[in-house]
Amino acid sequence: MTKINKSLALMAGVAGLAMSAVTATAEMSYPALAPLGEPPIPLDNKMSDAKVELGKILFWDPRIGGDASTACVTCHEPDQGWAFGDSLSRGYPGTVHWRNSQSVINSAYLGQLFWAGSAASLEKQAPSAAKGAVAGNGENDVMETRMAFIPEYVKRFNDVFGTENPLIGDAWAAIAAFERTLIVNDTPVDKYLAGDTSALTEEQVAGMELFNGKAGCIQCHNGAQATDENYYNLGVPPAERWEDDGLAQVTFRYELYAKGVSQDMYRKLKDDPGLYFRTKEPEHMGKFRTPPLRYTLYTAPYMHNGSFWDLREVVEFYNAGGGENDFTDGTMAATKSELIKPLGLSDEEIDQLVAFLEGFSGEELRVEPPVLPPYEALASE
Amino acid sequence: MKISRLKSGTALTVGAALMSVTVLAASASAEDMAIGPVVGPEINAAKAELGKRLFFDKRLSGDAAVSCSSCHQPDKAFTDGLALSKAYPGSKGFRNTPTLVNTTLAANWFHDGRIGTNLNDVTRESLTEDYSMNMDMRLMQERVKQDPVYVEMFKAAGYGEPSNGSIRKAIPEYLKTLISKGSPFDNGTMSDAATRGQALFEGKAGCIDCHSGPRFTDDQAHNMGVPENPEIWSDPMRHMTYAAFAQFMGVENFLNIRQDVGAQIIKNPADRSDVAKFNTPTLRELKYTAPYMHNGMFKSLSDIVAFYNTGGEDVPNLDPKVRPLGLTFLEQQDLVAFLEALSGDPLTGPEYVWEGEISTNYPAIENWRDVAN
Repeated sequence: MTKINKSLALMAGVAGLAMSAVTATAEMSYPALAPLGEPPIPLDNKMSDAKVELGKILFWDPRIGGDASTACVTCHEPDQGWAFGDSLSRGYPGTVHWRNSQSVINSAYLGQLFWAGSAASLEKQAPSAAKGAVAGNGENDVMETRMAFIPEYVKRFNDVFGTENPLIGDAWAAIAAFERTLIVNDTPVDKYLAGDTSALTEEQVAGMELFNGKAGCIQCHNGAQATDENYYNLGVPPAERWEDDGLAQVTFRYELYAKGVSQDMYRKLKDDPGLYFRTKEPEHMGKFRTPPLRYTLYTAPYMHNGSFWDLREVVEFYNAGGGENDFTDGTMAATKSELIKPLGLSDEEIDQLVAFLEGFSGEELRVEPPVLPPYEALASE
Repeated sequence: MKISRLKSGTALTVGAALMSVTVLAASASAEDMAIGPVVGPEINAAKAELGKRLFFDKRLSGDAAVSCSSCHQPDKAFTDGLALSKAYPGSKGFRNTPTLVNTTLAANWFHDGRIGTNLNDVTRESLTEDYSMNMDMRLMQERVKQDPVYVEMFKAAGYGEPSNGSIRKAIPEYLKTLISKGSPFDNGTMSDAATRGQALFEGKAGCIDCHSGPRFTDDQAHNMGVPENPEIWSDPMRHMTYAAFAQFMGVENFLNIRQDVGAQIIKNPADRSDVAKFNTPTLRELKYTAPYMHNGMFKSLSDIVAFYNTGGEDVPNLDPKVRPLGLTFLEQQDLVAFLEALSGDPLTGPEYVWEGEISTNYPAIENWRDVAN
């Protein structure tokens, strides 16, 4: 935690600097949008075809979970943008998840996974999802032992990692390697930024100018990834399901309990405090990491709790100066970002901005689902 | 195997189990170990009623698919009629489901006796183990809090707000109600054959050496040379469940062994002298609890008596009490008649079974934003 706190403090400092710079000069410069390029590959998890193929099978395998019903793909479905098409993700049987499922596409570029950035790598994100009570609810020893009874896994892990039997940590590494192949970096926006001026329509180019100027999107959605990976409270309204769905209320309180908030906060919180869960710093209440924008055409609904169902709704939300939640109005905190203010966009300008955002998505990425290898006995009668 | 997030305390309780076994050995007087009727403890009715509902509620498992009563079924004296238990979806059991009748009076629990503290810990173990109910107890607490019936019942039981701690108190309180009653042995209505069988039980057959006390068990582990159940090793789902368990319990070479090591996991003696020791099972309610032994290898009581009569199998560390008994066929029948006379009335009435429907839906809390969580 010390380490996390330090790096957050550092980031908060950077954000603070950036904000004072905004007030000082109207024409603050941010890292420009840029073609995405290739994803970074960690030195301790190099890519190989065999590893990627193994990771792909594991991504689809529900035995990597508690009751052998819930695989990675269960909440990251290729035909739902490698995400899940409901406001809150579906969760483990008997539960509902508590946040919107994020797309796996281009997650390879992110330094902070999950909406509050609680995993620093794909290798760490996978076990967190596979083991959480409202996600995979699996246990390391059971998942690892299951793989030892799947001869094809024993062989593949041996080929890739050189172990006698599969190790669960290597499973996360293989899944991460597979996820690093789920790249969409040839969108119309990428092509345009690389010099192909015919890749975007006039309307989209006008939208990009708004993005970089009047609408101010670039203040957070900047650089090649279109995210600064920093944390903000936009005033996204609380999830409606927490108000009227008992199952969601169960999960909401479970998260308060499991994330270790104080007794007082457990009683009072009625909205997802985001980054606060990690740091317990009041100024982090209600803040979530800026999401990247590529592939978003396919990943509705949007925001950490799926409050908005199409991109126009999102743009209209910003145009209205964001919204209100328990962390904007002083109920629990007042951390709304000063960057969020009415934009004064006309209907036509909103259309232009939406058209530009749609240019961030390109073709859908589909793959042939793998065949899952069966269990086999290690012993005969 | 859930060492994190409040999911298990096995490692802790193993130490406690050792202590309590020692205490038991020292304190069990001859009088305590005399056979006779089972006397149950005092019961708090409101707490037991709450525990009863929890016992039959599937929402106490991770994916809301199994309740305690899925394996511990009242009409089978709280067993399941299977050689090897079913286990949580995605796993398959590697041991026979033991009866819960009189379990409140036991000194330690599970076939290997690995928990020797109390039923609160046993309840936790069963709720949280990935192959039994795979429940994160924090989520369990919040599920229970969401059910208005429970909110009232916890209040009535004096527990206040539902919590995972009081869930683990209420279920053992319900288990206190599961006490044998009405057996021919207790009522003095045994047949002549059963009466002759009792004499053999206490004499020539020597059963009473281990099957002593009102529950007919010394609560100790012995190696009786019961054959392995080959299905544990031929069915990959059973084998992997055992292997994962053995791994967690620190059994060396857990993927290569083809034997249930039993109580060896507790003290793990270097000479492996506790391998294949299993707790002496109670002989109460046998009429309802076939098949028998820790791995369900015997279908009938006459099979078991015949097994003991031969002196068991030649295995390392066989308990010296196991020896050829020289019982005639008629004597074996008498012994079986006595064993059958130890079964009482089925505990299947509404005082033992939650007969109301338990909805798996969670009503939303009204005015959610205005009330404290």
